[in-house]
Amino acid sequence: MRKSLAISAVLHATALLWGLISFNAAPFEPSEAPSIPVDFISATDFSKLTAGTKDAPKAETQKPRVEKVAEKKPDPEPAQKIAEKPEIVTSSTAEPPPTPETKKPEPKAKPVPQAAESKPEKTEKVEQKTDPIAEALKKEEAKKESEQKQADAKPTPLPPKRPAPPQPKFDASKVAALLDKRDPQRQAATGEVMNASASLGAPTGNAPELSQSELDALRARLMQLWNPPIGIQAAGTMIIRIRVILGRDRKLIGPPQVITSGKGTMYESARDSAIRAVFRAQPFDMLKSETFETWRDMEITFDPRDMFRG
Amino acid sequence: MNPADVAQSALPIASTDLSIWGLFLSAHWVVKSVMLGLLACSIWVWAIAIDKTLLYMRTRRAMDRFEQSFWSGQSLEELYRSLSSRPTHSMAALFVAAMREWKRSFEGQSRSFAGLQMRIEKVMDVTIAREIERLERRLLVLATVGSAGPFIGLFGTVWGIMSSFQSIAASKNTSLAVVAPGIAEALFATAIGLVAAIPATIFYNKFVSDVNKQAGRLEGFADEFAAILSRQIDERG
Repeated sequence: MRKSLAISAVLHATALLWGLISFNAAPFEPSEAPSIPVDFISATDFSKLTAGTKDAPKAETQKPRVEKVAEKKPDPEPAQKIAEKPEIVTSSTAEPPPTPETKKPEPKAKPVPQAAESKPEKTEKVEQKTDPIAEALKKEEAKKESEQKQADAKPTPLPPKRPAPPQPKFDASKVAALLDKRDPQRQAATGEVMNASASLGAPTGNAPELSQSELDALRARLMQLWNPPIGIQAAGTMIIRIRVILGRDRKLIGPPQVITSGKGTMYESARDSAIRAVFRAQPFDMLKSETFETWRDMEITFDPRDMFRG
Repeated sequence: MNPADVAQSALPIASTDLSIWGLFLSAHWVVKSVMLGLLACSIWVWAIAIDKTLLYMRTRRAMDRFEQSFWSGQSLEELYRSLSSRPTHSMAALFVAAMREWKRSFEGQSRSFAGLQMRIEKVMDVTIAREIERLERRLLVLATVGSAGPFIGLFGTVWGIMSSFQSIAASKNTSLAVVAPGIAEALFATAIGLVAAIPATIFYNKFVSDVNKQAGRLEGFADEFAAILSRQIDERG
């Protein structure tokens, strides 16, 4: 036994030695992952960023950011200019404010008919020296011609010719600099005129907005208080939307209005329960006073599927 | 967290080596003791395996030799005289025990044939049991290591993974550089457990079947010899 134990020990020692030599793995050096600095902003912060400011320097016109010249797209939402309001004249104001001058566009004479009319005059002058019969005949002909020309002439004026864009001079030494080294799959924004600067703010950017935590707190409170009837069938038809108008004291100003409509005793009891939940949830302490404008008038959706999803 | 801090905290971990020696040194002491215990188990298992292999080889050869001389027509008295001078094993021991009982019954003052057949069979049964016990000794160690080795290794692994989670908690960083060394050292414990357990199981199964074969051979010889002696008893009585 002692002999075989020695043999076994020697075998293990050789196996371990072999393992030490052959499994001498390269030292594990994790490559340093490139760290990306990340800032968290809330949705509210983002809409504040895009809202733009009133005291921003006034630009000539905010043109859309454009990198390629193309045909102008029709504006989907043309911004309507606000008409200037005339100041209200009271007895205390000494001088009446200058009335805004209204320039009436003078109707310009159309170029084509003028040219057409000038022709028969010339013929008249030429024909005066000849005999009157022929003159009368030709006059009639000329009149007919001029009338025809008048009818033929297009009433719309010709569009003004665009100035030709300056052609860039070809320089063989600058070809490398002109090459577009950007990603070919990139979607370039197109527009009428090249414009590389981004706009100051989006016209629909709205700064004050209910943050998600406020919304969630409100929803949790209402869902806690709402007891829809047990055994609802077709929960999808039991969605109840209620319009709630709140005052600055975070309490209801008027009775909540049910927007959705439905039939059946189940629906009615669910609706009444939702209205009771809105009443019982007063005051809505989770809403911040800074965002009063957003929660002053809101629509709340009671969806039983949210309840049962947990 | 500042990216520079992260890079700095990752630096000491980066310099761990994953060689066998490095894994052993960096392990927790519990894991270390598990590893050492499993290594000792492995050494013991292989020692038993070598010992048993040699023993069974020797036993088989001795049985062959004895059977050859037994069936060669040599007189049983001569064979008994040549074998009883020195200690014997397996089939020879069986033969010597039976012959001794036979001689004692004949050479004593009172000749007792009545229970001789039964006595001889009893003596041979006892000898077979003793021989099988000798062949089976320490086989239970193999069975134990074969079944418990993976569990012991798994214990070391669980402990090592616990410590690697603690290192995650300490460095507040879940990158692979923090977790990998702990998990590697933990898995090393399971590897040693499997290395000890797999040969143990294989050897145990092989040896059990060997022992059964040899026990059957011994019993067959015992029956045959009992038949011969019974014929002798009937002839003399």
